[in-house]
Amino acid sequence: MKEVINYILDLGPAVFLPLIMIIVGLIVRMKFSTAFSSALTLGVAFLGMSVVIDFMFDAIGPASEAFVNNTGLQLNILDLGWPPNAAIAWAWPYAFFMFPIQIVINLLMLGFNKTNCLNLDLWNVWNKIFTAVIVSGITNSLAMGFIVASIEVVLELKNADLTQKQIQRMTGIPGIALPHSMALTAVVLAPINRLLDFIPGLKNVEIDAESLKEKLGIFGENHVMGFIIGIFIALFAKYDLKSTLTLAVQAATALTLFPMVATLFMKALAPISDAAGEFMKKRFPGKEIYIGLDWPFLAGQPEVWVTCILLVPVILLMAVILPGNGVLPFGGILNICFAATALIVCNKNLVRMLILGVIATPLYLYVGTAFAPHITNLARQVGTIDIPANQMITWNGMEAPEFRYVFSRAANIINGDYFGLVLLAGYIALYIWYFKHMKAREAEAAKDLGLS
Amino acid sequence: MKTIIVACGSGVATSQTVASKVDKLCKERKIPAKVMAVDIKSLEQNIRIADVYISIAPSYKDYGIPTISGIPFLTGVGMEETMDQLEEILKK
Repeated sequence: MKEVINYILDLGPAVFLPLIMIIVGLIVRMKFSTAFSSALTLGVAFLGMSVVIDFMFDAIGPASEAFVNNTGLQLNILDLGWPPNAAIAWAWPYAFFMFPIQIVINLLMLGFNKTNCLNLDLWNVWNKIFTAVIVSGITNSLAMGFIVASIEVVLELKNADLTQKQIQRMTGIPGIALPHSMALTAVVLAPINRLLDFIPGLKNVEIDAESLKEKLGIFGENHVMGFIIGIFIALFAKYDLKSTLTLAVQAATALTLFPMVATLFMKALAPISDAAGEFMKKRFPGKEIYIGLDWPFLAGQPEVWVTCILLVPVILLMAVILPGNGVLPFGGILNICFAATALIVCNKNLVRMLILGVIATPLYLYVGTAFAPHITNLARQVGTIDIPANQMITWNGMEAPEFRYVFSRAANIINGDYFGLVLLAGYIALYIWYFKHMKAREAEAAKDLGLS
Repeated sequence: MKTIIVACGSGVATSQTVASKVDKLCKERKIPAKVMAVDIKSLEQNIRIADVYISIAPSYKDYGIPTISGIPFLTGVGMEETMDQLEEILKK
């Protein structure tokens, strides 16, 4: 049996992922032809991502090496943003187990009235897979990976409850909630935001974010941002004009193609998440619940984009000056996970969002640095992704960096890492404060909405 | 053939989900339409070729084409009504 499994895993994710997918597809009663097409799309998605990553390393690898040589800065960890990391997470052999885990926890919590959120965002199951991948990489324990990922499922559902009315007040959409784990970062952002209350004058600063977004919007487009970062890297690498422009267009290409290829993952997995969603909805008719969705229903708020764009120079500067940082920001330079969370925490106050952004940027960079060896290892293990020997990869701006760091250290107690327990105690204390704070804010939002 | 455009934060997950659902419903109702999922950051570029915009992210901006909410396609609540609305617009 073990030999069979090893043989299958040795085929590489582009082959074994479709095999697993066909089996899962047939279990959720897909027609064979649909299951086959979806499965093959998953293989294509994975190989497609490998192709783009290879292209990117061919272009940016030498430039970032020259960057390191010329500046003496040890920024040898390339930030790939989320799409390649999603590809790596899906390629983990145990990835699909996360679907039933998330669904069962959600249904149990609904059944026992521990949450009001039915999370239909099954795309972001991959966030929990990614957590499990990192934690089991650090602890060498598969069980620990799944335990921490399960805690993440619980906390993100709780967090959906703790933000639902505030989000409704902001967006005007009733009946939905945000169980995305990005918003767990509110646990550390909310206390800082509370401290900002004591700075006089901050409450009444009004900025027209919409008109700012009109002016800055172009910088948010993937190819334009890629072009700019390409020029930034080339400048430090001391490239001549021709090489600089070439690198800039290559970087623009990589950042444009990443999400395009990631769409293939979505297309492949859609039938499964549809089937799972129907399964969950059928089990809860008539009960007062909120539907948990992915974050883009917040994407119409201009503050999100203005924050992302204005933080770009901050992230680049900090990457260069922060001692111990190894991340060269690239694919994750627009920190959506921060901006969308800060939008809720600061209730759309742009000045506060920017202040929190400056404070939080080191958190994202340092956790990106700390996890790089594990992400790189996994990418090498799953094969087909070639990362040059002296390079590592990571994701600056990942969701819930504080949660992942604290809980991976705490889980590492099994290897005698006691410092993790100190971190965990601190996290729990913060969380208790956060829970009460958000309850009060929810009550206030409910009053504004005329619900209480 | 009319073009329907759906936008989300990356043009990957949410917009793709809505787009494939709308595409399926259009086929069921025999409405000829092309449904495209795009990145909201590049919406201005893409909206020029669209006849209807399905918005997942409520915004204050008027793009000059009929806009309907995409949320019902995600939650399933009020989906048929929204689809009727879309059909009405596409028939014009």
